[in-house]
Amino acid sequence: MALSAAELARYHRHLALPEWGAAGQERLRNARALVVGAGGLGSPAALYLAAAGVGTLGLLDCDRVELSNLQRQVLFATADVGRPKVEAARERLLALNPEIAVRAHALTLRADNVLETLRDYDLVLDGTDRLATRYLVNDACVLLGKPLVSAAIHRFEGHAMTYLPGRGPCYRCLFPEAEEGAVASCAEAGVLGVLPGVLGAIQATEAIKILAGIGEPLLGRLAIYDALELRLLELPVSRRADCAVCGGNPTITAPQDAAQACDEAALRAINRLSAAALRELLGSEGRETTLVLIDVREPREFDTRHLQGACNIPLAQLERRLGELAGGAMPVFLCRSGRRSLAACALAARAGVASPAHLEGGLLAWAAEIDPDFEVAAG
Amino acid sequence: MSCTVRIPSPLRSYTAGAGTVAGAGGTVAEVLSDLERRFSGIRFRMVDEQNRIRPHIRLYVGTSEVKALSEPVGSGATVHVICALSGG
Repeated sequence: MALSAAELARYHRHLALPEWGAAGQERLRNARALVVGAGGLGSPAALYLAAAGVGTLGLLDCDRVELSNLQRQVLFATADVGRPKVEAARERLLALNPEIAVRAHALTLRADNVLETLRDYDLVLDGTDRLATRYLVNDACVLLGKPLVSAAIHRFEGHAMTYLPGRGPCYRCLFPEAEEGAVASCAEAGVLGVLPGVLGAIQATEAIKILAGIGEPLLGRLAIYDALELRLLELPVSRRADCAVCGGNPTITAPQDAAQACDEAALRAINRLSAAALRELLGSEGRETTLVLIDVREPREFDTRHLQGACNIPLAQLERRLGELAGGAMPVFLCRSGRRSLAACALAARAGVASPAHLEGGLLAWAAEIDPDFEVAAG
Repeated sequence: MSCTVRIPSPLRSYTAGAGTVAGAGGTVAEVLSDLERRFSGIRFRMVDEQNRIRPHIRLYVGTSEVKALSEPVGSGATVHVICALSGG
């Protein structure tokens, strides 16, 4: 179907590009792109894809908008705080461009839903803030043969790379594996608000080029952006013959959850405590097991409020400070939501710490179930 | 021999925030040892107990990826340390 009069007017500056023309715009209108993570990267990427006229735009995120998101997540307004991200984002994108369709996926990607979620899309943009999800999305894209445009950020630095299955390296070729906790998240380390704007725009550029069939993709090249020095460095990345998912003898032939991918023995050793179970343990007079509470949040979060007696070892420092854990005591790791504490547990278990424990649901669960006055700092 | 080492954002806590530091050594191993002397703990974030480059780290001399720590580093070269980032 030819472009309508409204579309001809809306996309005039695209149509004026000789490399683009009506054919390029129609290709974009017929395309379906999924943005995984409606955060700092997903916000500008989704806005530019919507503005450009990508016909079907999917947004995947299970979080709600928090006030601390607004410093960089330009999809959202102050009035959106507390709303599901994908719902607020859908409204914003359709207000920008009612000619497109926006699908909201308010879910967490797992091994059992990633293939069916990604299958309907022509291209995926990864802007998630979880390493485990990065690997899950990469593996699914390789298995489905989908192009993937990936970016990641930390403080003042960002990375971007495009993966075209069969034509170059994948994310596992770049970094074969990375443990949650080995790399600090933005919640822990901070991030310059405008940084994801640059990287998200690069992702949108790549996606639009691939979908419209123009230009050269960022294939086999890692783009490294340093905002402090305003440098854009490019380093070559080759396909790994022994890559676990795209190599000659792949060991990953179906999506795996992080729990599956981790050392299962280490995970079995972890004690998962509910808030009620932890309160009971803490309240047991003359208990046989000595507990040591280790709060793995950042000092800023710890200083806002922490459980009595807890010590603070941020997750990024845990590996080199494991020696501080008292022998004989059962370490109970704590964090805001239970995500960092689980990573801390796995790290401790692999290092030989016997029976590490963590508070499932984190201090948010403690506040919800035990102490409603317990203030949990934003991540 | 002297070289320049680019430090990735997640490891700049070891270098007092510096993104570029001077390095010394004729091989990658020697450059990393030199860094460790001045920035205690930084080497272990890049290399494990078996002297293998960690899987979430990539090292380059110029634009050539380092596969073994014994690889040479020429005078005036730039060693890039790249670390996986998780933020979105």
